Amino acid sequence: MELANTLSQDGESRGGVLAHLERLETQVSRCRKKLEEPQSTQAVESALGTRIHELRRLRDKLRAEVKQHQARVKASTTNVEPDQTLEITEQEILKRKRENVKAILQAYRFTGISGKLTSRGVCVCIGTAFEGNLLDSYFVDLVMQKPPQIHHHSIPVFIPLEEISAKYLQTNIQHFLFTLCEYLNAYSGRKYQADRLQSDFAAFLAGPLQRNSLCNLLSFTYKAEPEGQSFPFCARLLYRDLTTTLPTDVTVTYQGTDALSTTREEQRAAHENLFFTKPLHQVFTSFASKGDKLDMSLVS
Amino acid sequence: MRREPAGDVGRRTILKIPMTEMMTILKTWNFLSENQLQTINFRQRKDSLVQDLVLLCEENRASLKDAALLDIIYTQFHRHQKVWDVFQMSKGPGEDIDLFDMEQFKSSFKKILKRALKNVTVSFRDAEENAVWIRIAWGTQYRKPNQYKPSYVVYYSQTPYAFTSSSQLKSNLPLLGQALTIASKHHQIVKMDLRSRYLDSLKAIVFKQYNQTFETHNSTTPLQERSLGLDINMDSRIIHENKIEKERVQRVTQEIFGDYPQPRLEFAQYKLETKFKSDLNGGILAEREEPLRCLVKFSSPHLLEALKSLAPAGIADAPLSPLLTCIPNKGMNYFKIRDK
Repeated sequence: MELANTLSQDGESRGGVLAHLERLETQVSRCRKKLEEPQSTQAVESALGTRIHELRRLRDKLRAEVKQHQARVKASTTNVEPDQTLEITEQEILKRKRENVKAILQAYRFTGISGKLTSRGVCVCIGTAFEGNLLDSYFVDLVMQKPPQIHHHSIPVFIPLEEISAKYLQTNIQHFLFTLCEYLNAYSGRKYQADRLQSDFAAFLAGPLQRNSLCNLLSFTYKAEPEGQSFPFCARLLYRDLTTTLPTDVTVTYQGTDALSTTREEQRAAHENLFFTKPLHQVFTSFASKGDKLDMSLVS
Repeated sequence: MRREPAGDVGRRTILKIPMTEMMTILKTWNFLSENQLQTINFRQRKDSLVQDLVLLCEENRASLKDAALLDIIYTQFHRHQKVWDVFQMSKGPGEDIDLFDMEQFKSSFKKILKRALKNVTVSFRDAEENAVWIRIAWGTQYRKPNQYKPSYVVYYSQTPYAFTSSSQLKSNLPLLGQALTIASKHHQIVKMDLRSRYLDSLKAIVFKQYNQTFETHNSTTPLQERSLGLDINMDSRIIHENKIEKERVQRVTQEIFGDYPQPRLEFAQYKLETKFKSDLNGGILAEREEPLRCLVKFSSPHLLEALKSLAPAGIADAPLSPLLTCIPNKGMNYFKIRDK
C-alpha cells in the first residue's frame, strides 16, 4: 500500500507537481473567464446605462434652453416683463462693447506697432508693410524689469538686434521699438522688391538674381525687353543704409566687349538713375510698359 | 569598373540613394533630362538600375563637379546621417554694414583653401534664400583629394554661425575655420560646445527660432484651457490628493520649457572635475585633494522633450537643475564643470 502510495506520490512529485500546477492554472483561468464574462457584459451594460443618463441629461438641458429662448422671444415681442428685457439688452450692450474693444485691439496690428500685456511685461508685435502691402509680422516679448530685457523674439538673426537693444533698450524703449521697426520695415521692403523681381519679372532676367539674407546686395543681369532685341545689362545694387528701401549705390554695366553706342550709353545711365529713385519692381514694370510701344531707335 | 573619380563618386552616391527617393533626388540634381530618365526602368533591381544610370551619366559626360553636386544633394536629403558641429564667428567692434556677396564669398573661400592645399575639391550648392552648402574633399600637397570622406559646411549669409559635419576634420579644421572667417569678413571663429545630428534643431537653437509662440490679441486659444492631464470626464468623486503639487509642477515645467516643441538633440554630456563632497567624515575619498574626473552623458531620441517630461512624470523634482534646462538658451550640450 505504502509502496503504491509512494510510487504514486513519487509519480506526482515529479511529473505530478508540474501537472498539478498546470491543472491549478487552467482552473484559475477558467474561473477568471467565468468572472469576466458577466463582468464584461456588466461593463457594457453599465456603459450603456451611463450613456442613457447622459443623453437624457442633454435632452433635458436642450429642452430647458429651448423653453428659455421661446420665453425670451415672447417677452421681447409682447413687452410683458420689462425688467428682464432691460437686463438682457444691457447684457447685450456690454457684450457688443467688449467685442468692439477686442476688435479694436486686434486691428491695432495694422498700425505697425501693437502689443499685449503679458504676465512678465509686454509682447510687442511689429507689423511690416511696403507700398500698402502687408508683409510679415515680428514679435519681441519684453520682460519689464528694472533693466528691461528681451525674453524671446522672432526677429531674424541677421537684423542687428543686439546692437539696437544695447543702444536703446535700457534707456528709451520707445526709441528701441521705433528703430527696430525701421530696420524691419526696410528689410521687409527690400525683400518684397527682390521677391517681386524674381517672381513677376523672371522673363527680364538673364540669370538668377543674387541676393543675401538682408537683401542689401542685389546683383543680376537683365534685358529691358525680354524678347532679346536689346542687350543685357548687369546691375549691382547696394543698400548701405539698412533703414532704407532704395539703394545707396547703383552700378549698371554693359556685358559685352564692343563699345556702347550713344543711345545704349544713354539708356544705361537712365537705368542707373531709375534704380536709384524707384523701387526695383516698379523699374521693371516701367520696362514692361515701355516694351509695349514699338521703339524704332533701338533697332541698331 | 570605373577608375575615374567622377564616375566612381557618382556611382557610389547613386548606390547610397534609397529606391524610394531615387526619382526625387535625380530630378533635383537635374543632370539627366526628363527624356533620359524616362528611358530607365525604375522597377528593376537596384544594381542594374544603378548600372543604367551610370551609363547615362557617362553619356552626358558627368564631371567631378556634377558628381560632387549629387553628393551634396544626397547629404541634404540625409543630413541626419552626419553629426554637425557649430562654429561661431565674430567681427571686430564698429564694423561696416555687411554687404555680403555670395559669389565673392564662394570664390574667396575656394581661393583660400586652394592656396593652402593644392589638392582640394570645393563644391557649392545654394539652398533656401540665403544659405549655401559647401562640400570639401581634402587632399595634401602630394595626394589627390579623398572624395569619399568629404566635409560639409552649411552657412547662412550675414549670420555669425556655420555648421560643419565632423568627419576626418581634425587636421584641416584650422584651415577651414580660416577660410570661413576670411571669406565671410569676420575676424574670429570659435567652436561652440554644441553638437547634434539634427541640423535643423541646431539652427533653431543658435538662431533662437525655437520659441515662436507669442501672446497677441488675435490668438483665440486661452492658455488656461490646457488640461492638466486630469481626465475631465472622470468621476467627480475621485480627487487627486496632490493636485496642488501636480499643478505646481506643470506650471514650473511650462515656465521653463514653454509650450513650443523642443529642438531635437540626442545627448548632453557633462565632464565633471570636482572634488568629492561627502557628508560622512572620513572615508577614502573625503580627503582626496585632486578633483575626481567623471563623465555623465544623457542620451535620448529627443533629449529636451524627455527632460521636459521628467518632472510631470514624477521622476524628478521641479524645477530641474539649471544645468539641464539651460541647454537651448546657452546653445550648449557639452559642459565642463569645475569647482569654483
